[in-house]
Amino acid sequence: MSLTKITILCCHYTNEAGEEDFAGIPACIEVRRFPCSGKIEVVDILRAFLDEAEAVLVAVCEKNKCHNQVGNLRAEKRVSLTQSLLAEIGLEPQRLRLAWIPRLDTGALVEEVKNMYEVLVDILSQKGDTK
Amino acid sequence: MIVAERKPIPRILKTIEPFKKIALIGCRGCVAICSTGGDREVEIVSAALKLARKKQDRPLEIIEKTLIRQCDPEYLKPLEKIAPQVEAVVSLACGVGVNLIADLYPEIKIYPGVDTLFYGANPALGEWEEKCRGCGDCIIDLTGGLCPIARCAKNLLNGPCGGSQDGRCEIRPDVPCVWHQIYERLKARGELDRLKEIWAPKNWIPAGHGGLRRRVREDLKVNKPNKEKP
Repeated sequence: MSLTKITILCCHYTNEAGEEDFAGIPACIEVRRFPCSGKIEVVDILRAFLDEAEAVLVAVCEKNKCHNQVGNLRAEKRVSLTQSLLAEIGLEPQRLRLAWIPRLDTGALVEEVKNMYEVLVDILSQKGDTK
Repeated sequence: MIVAERKPIPRILKTIEPFKKIALIGCRGCVAICSTGGDREVEIVSAALKLARKKQDRPLEIIEKTLIRQCDPEYLKPLEKIAPQVEAVVSLACGVGVNLIADLYPEIKIYPGVDTLFYGANPALGEWEEKCRGCGDCIIDLTGGLCPIARCAKNLLNGPCGGSQDGRCEIRPDVPCVWHQIYERLKARGELDRLKEIWAPKNWIPAGHGGLRRRVREDLKVNKPNKEKP
């Protein structure tokens, strides 16, 4: 049985989490890193879904902590736009979340991924999909 | 620029419902500038359509291409290579581009991916505002550069109307009354006398009387080779 895939899109400054950090989460976790969360485009999020992700977490630095000043705020707007696109095509917008993560705080990131996983399990169980 | 807005994805999906392979064609003209149909939007709409069709378990193949412009025949040439590879073409250009493709390539099933809205300016990032209606008989020389045809909710030529309150439009209180603005502008310019002139009735014929409007400049047309010997 294939594991549910969750893709994390984040910037280099947000975290350095590796495979071992997500070992406790029963899902396939993919991390795609960008120079800054402001570089994460709507199409990057949609492509993550096209590449079999069941949920996408966009992890950005906390407000006022972005290395490039407003990259995280740009990411926030793009996540919001993508959520409305997902709704348009009939996918639950809750499959996409934005998480404000203290810089390099792996524990906070893992916690957000766990939350994302729980939301996803809820969505899938409501649809009768028990991956 | 011509300002447009993407059609809802379900509407585009309905249009291309029978097809398995399409081309999604953007335009680097006005619709790219108003963030509706340029390279970036082609990528986004393409991914959204593919995702929706994947969800339906009916995968969709898309050739993505953005042309320099879709309102000039020479820039449409790449379509001649793309169209035979697909069942239909969705254009993210304004209605001008879609119409020209339909005129020049009747064999292509061309569909619009955007709604064409208005001629507008980009006063701030993420905002577009109508400034001109293309009525063909410009009177803004008389109104301080501010167009009452495009910017007055009632298209008045003798405003402000009785409903204007505190310089705001009665139809849209979030919008300034353009006739109030015209008055203040002309006053500041020392040109209030222009409002005392009796204007001739506006000529609405160039606004579209008699069907489609055309403009011809003989001096710009390509010369045909002269076959007579000197």
